[in-house]
Amino acid sequence: MMNEDEVLTTLKILIIGESGVGKSSLLLRFTDDTFDPEQPATIGVDFKVKTLSVEGNTTKLAIWDTAGQERFRTLTPSYYRGAQGVILVYDVSNRKSFQKLDMWLNELETFSTKSDIVKMLVGNKIDMDKREVDRQEGLKFARKHAMLFIEASAKTKEGVQVAFEELVEKVIQTPGLWENDSRGGMSLNDRGNQSVSQGCGGYCSLL
Amino acid sequence: MADDGQESEVFEITDFTTASDWERFIARLEEVMHDWKLPTLKRNPPVKKGEYTIGSWKEKSANVRYANFTFTITEYKLKQEYNEKDLTLDDEESEDILPEAVEDLMMMENDFPPRAHCLCRWFGLRHFLVLSPAAHSDAVISESRIRILQSSVSIAISNTSCQIPVFVQVQQKWRRMYVGQCEGPGMRTSFDMVHLKKIPHQFNHLAGLLGVFKSKISTPVSSPPPVSVAVRFTYILQDWTNYSWPQLPPDFDAPSGSEVGNSGFGKLPFGAVEDPVSELHLATTWPSLSEDMIVDNDVYSDLDPIQAPQWSVRIRMMEKPQCLLGEYLGDFGKLCKRSESVEQLLGRSFYQDDSDTADISQALQRLTEPVPMHIPTLSSVVTRARTRMHHKKQMEEEPIPGDILNEILQFLFPDAGLIACIRRWSCCIFLLPLTLLQSGAPCLGSCLLHQKLQMLNCCIARKIARENTSMSQSSSAVSLGTNIQPSLSSNSFLPASLSQASFGGSDRGSLASSPSNKDEDEDDDEFFECDEDPEEGENEKVGEEELAAAGNSQDVEMEDVEEKDKIERTEKEEKEKPEKTSDDSSPDEIAFRDTVVYQPEGRLRQCGDLTLICNDDELLYIPITQDPAPMTEDQLEEHATVLAELGTSEEGAELRARMQSACLLSDMEAFKAANPGCMLEDFVRWYSPRDYIEDDDSCNTPHPDMNEEDRDRMKKGKLSSRMMIPGNMWQEVWSQAKPVPARRQKRLFDDTKEAEKVLHYLASLKPAEVALHLMPMLIHAAIIRIQHIEIEGLPSLTSLMTQITQRASKLTRMGSTDIKKYEEVIKQIELAEVVIARAQSLRAKFSQQVLEDDDKQTELEKFVSSLLEQPEVSVLGAGRGPAGTILHRLFAAAQRSANMLPSEEELLADDDVVDHASQSSSVSVKDFPRPAGKEFILRTRVQRPTSYSRALPQRLFCVLMNNDFRLAGAFSEDTTFF
Repeated sequence: MMNEDEVLTTLKILIIGESGVGKSSLLLRFTDDTFDPEQPATIGVDFKVKTLSVEGNTTKLAIWDTAGQERFRTLTPSYYRGAQGVILVYDVSNRKSFQKLDMWLNELETFSTKSDIVKMLVGNKIDMDKREVDRQEGLKFARKHAMLFIEASAKTKEGVQVAFEELVEKVIQTPGLWENDSRGGMSLNDRGNQSVSQGCGGYCSLL
Repeated sequence: MADDGQESEVFEITDFTTASDWERFIARLEEVMHDWKLPTLKRNPPVKKGEYTIGSWKEKSANVRYANFTFTITEYKLKQEYNEKDLTLDDEESEDILPEAVEDLMMMENDFPPRAHCLCRWFGLRHFLVLSPAAHSDAVISESRIRILQSSVSIAISNTSCQIPVFVQVQQKWRRMYVGQCEGPGMRTSFDMVHLKKIPHQFNHLAGLLGVFKSKISTPVSSPPPVSVAVRFTYILQDWTNYSWPQLPPDFDAPSGSEVGNSGFGKLPFGAVEDPVSELHLATTWPSLSEDMIVDNDVYSDLDPIQAPQWSVRIRMMEKPQCLLGEYLGDFGKLCKRSESVEQLLGRSFYQDDSDTADISQALQRLTEPVPMHIPTLSSVVTRARTRMHHKKQMEEEPIPGDILNEILQFLFPDAGLIACIRRWSCCIFLLPLTLLQSGAPCLGSCLLHQKLQMLNCCIARKIARENTSMSQSSSAVSLGTNIQPSLSSNSFLPASLSQASFGGSDRGSLASSPSNKDEDEDDDEFFECDEDPEEGENEKVGEEELAAAGNSQDVEMEDVEEKDKIERTEKEEKEKPEKTSDDSSPDEIAFRDTVVYQPEGRLRQCGDLTLICNDDELLYIPITQDPAPMTEDQLEEHATVLAELGTSEEGAELRARMQSACLLSDMEAFKAANPGCMLEDFVRWYSPRDYIEDDDSCNTPHPDMNEEDRDRMKKGKLSSRMMIPGNMWQEVWSQAKPVPARRQKRLFDDTKEAEKVLHYLASLKPAEVALHLMPMLIHAAIIRIQHIEIEGLPSLTSLMTQITQRASKLTRMGSTDIKKYEEVIKQIELAEVVIARAQSLRAKFSQQVLEDDDKQTELEKFVSSLLEQPEVSVLGAGRGPAGTILHRLFAAAQRSANMLPSEEELLADDDVVDHASQSSSVSVKDFPRPAGKEFILRTRVQRPTSYSRALPQRLFCVLMNNDFRLAGAFSEDTTFF
């Protein structure tokens, strides 16, 4: 398989959203390319690993899949720590799961340790006949909260792979989000006030 | 033919094998000039005012060897920004056009630039080359060598027709002696220099210098045009007299000792201990005079600084003033790097219980009971602090009084020099966990140390709550639960109640688990004690006796939940519900339908208006559940690692789910206890409503105005398919769950063990680790400290602070343990402190006089702000503006004090006694000292060397300082008509 040395970095990705919106199914589709209509309800959190190549960069993804039930929510925030990307899932055939998105974002804001975490909104189950959330609404929500947006179906495969790829690409492109050393910031002699005291090296001010 | 060919080839060879070092040197110079495209350079538009200082300069260097001596040739060039249309030159007339550099000699827009290369300053040049020895110690001193170099340059520039002036640095480098030349069509300018240590007295004034200039030009023209003169006198103010540094002197009587600026534990020290402003330079400038307009000779001078049309000020700052906060943070940073353990620092004997602390160590054992070895210091100190607090009778929420704290500190750190930070740490550990911490689960937004202490608090609170519950249950059954908050964690810990809630108390002998025990031991027989809900109506029916019995039963050591449960049930059956069929059931789990055989227990509230699926009369209740186990971030991480390590296989996933199902089991048991006769479907409707599918899709939510029939219809439904997968975890756990209310369940969170873990963690920290853990708070406190200083109008500080804050928040959010990164932030904080100190010092100096006029006041503030941001600031209104007035006063005061004369105030005070006029007339001291430096620029355009030559720019720059006299002249002559 992949040579360890070639892996650019390991990214922590989180999947959150109301219970039953298909978080685990999305993940299973992405990692194993399978779909199980009888995917058992997640208890606590689950965890999967996958290596992904985006634009020549090989990254290892550690993906944490969380349970959506309210009671589990007291346990899961701990897994938000250090995540560089998050996939927030709702079910396009269930308006309630869409309405709860604000709450999830709030949660994310509270518990994530990286302020510039990349967020992706995924409207799942577009294969279902009975759609309750319009694509435009999802789009609007994502724009409002500066997220990536895609509609997908874990069942038909549509949009799943590309969602993860897009997210990873964005994370890689965000400076300081994943590098070990996020240098940058200012040098100490950045402003005029220092130069006053220092004289001027090669440039002298007489007197 | 062949011969011819060979011969012609031979003739085409140019032979450089015999070229001398000198020739090669010149060739190399030319090569560099060509490389840098100097000969074909386009002309730039004239330089704008101030551009020499504001604009950026480009530097380019190359090495040139002469035999085995290396020179560096460097190009200095002002980067000009202009539009193409600004360029107005006629290429046709290029014959007559002077080189750019020669024109620059006469430019008056950029005289006396505040910051520039000295050659730019002396000759007003924007573009030039400097040839100097590469090694810093080398110097070209002998006259013949200087000549050779000059000749080489001369040849090179005429070969390449490069019009950029080229200078050769001669003499020792520090003398900054340059000779140079510039050639243009039909003319050349030579740059020459005189540098002396002493000012020859005949040249100490304008008149003498004009004499030199004119004789050097020696134009044959009978009446040359007048020389134009620019003059700048610079005065230095070092003695600020009573306008000096406003920092308060150290208070040596203060209990904190000799630490200046240390205002107790609550505040970080801040500020510079010395005046960061060392000197003020006032430059008074006459930008454009004519030689016949002004007299300046050895007996008289028109050049009175107060009359000068332009004033500008620059400030000399201390290179690195001693600053308290920066020093403090720096020391703290160093501390983080020390590797000693507590034991190494304090000695082994510290651990030995000496006689007078014997009782204390017992208390310690009560606290951290099963630790077999000697408890390392910190936890023991905590113990001590606590016990002392008890001795000092219950002090409610009051922090440890200062004297006790001092005592503890002295005890802890007998080596008084052992850095203040440890004190702060000890301060934290003593005060915070006891009283100040927010109650509840550890807040992951705070630092790890804080989380640990919160955890400790949390453990204490839960323990108290537990014991209170059992106590109130056994003592007063009627008032059961009425005065206890439903939320366990909301009880903040009071020292007074510690005695009854002592950890690992003797009331539970079986509790003695050592911290090395693994989590969640199966044989751990602590029960979760949850307060009964006061709203719980059912409880009222329960007889007093029964409750007492229940309470008693809790005091009995139980080996097993089930056993206990049985007893309870049996009791109930005997006493209350003898008519019910015995439910000593073998819960045949899947089919488990607890027909109402036991009293519902542990109800929190109704779950909407839902009723049990198989019994419409029974309302569905949400049970009181166990609070999830609080965790600190390191525990969470550990937990996550454990989960991740299970791998991604199916078995791994199942194991992971199983590990996390404890909470689910607990909730299910509580649910069953609260809802006798319930089914998994009922549970799911509360726990995961989306997994209960209503048969009728049309109405998902019950409407109040729905009729009975609808409601009935609504109730019909089934579990989602994923919940019906045979053998799935939910069903499995459900089948295992017995109806046990939360308060009698096995505790998910073992407060005793967790508290021990915390104490152990704290105890095993090395001082350096403690320091590192405290770093986030310290940085935070330092930032707050800086932000509390109200100082405005400093854009650079604002941007610096933004950067610091961003960086710090990123750093601390990551929970970084890299001291190097913290040190970078500390450096920036130091810088901010210096910037503030400078601003404060300057403001103090320039706001002595409250001006009535608001406009003037704002003008003054602007002036001070720009002093901090810019190298040189011009004074609006020169000597007559508001800033000028203050400057004048400052200089005058310094003059008086230098001459031991009474100050202005004293003079005024003496007004009554002596006639003021006579007094001041007797004072013949000038308000300004002798200028520390005088600069003159003499310029003219005159024919040289003969009267029929072209009139060309001539310039002499003169600097007169105490021990530095320099004349830098540029003299042009016509090379066509000479």
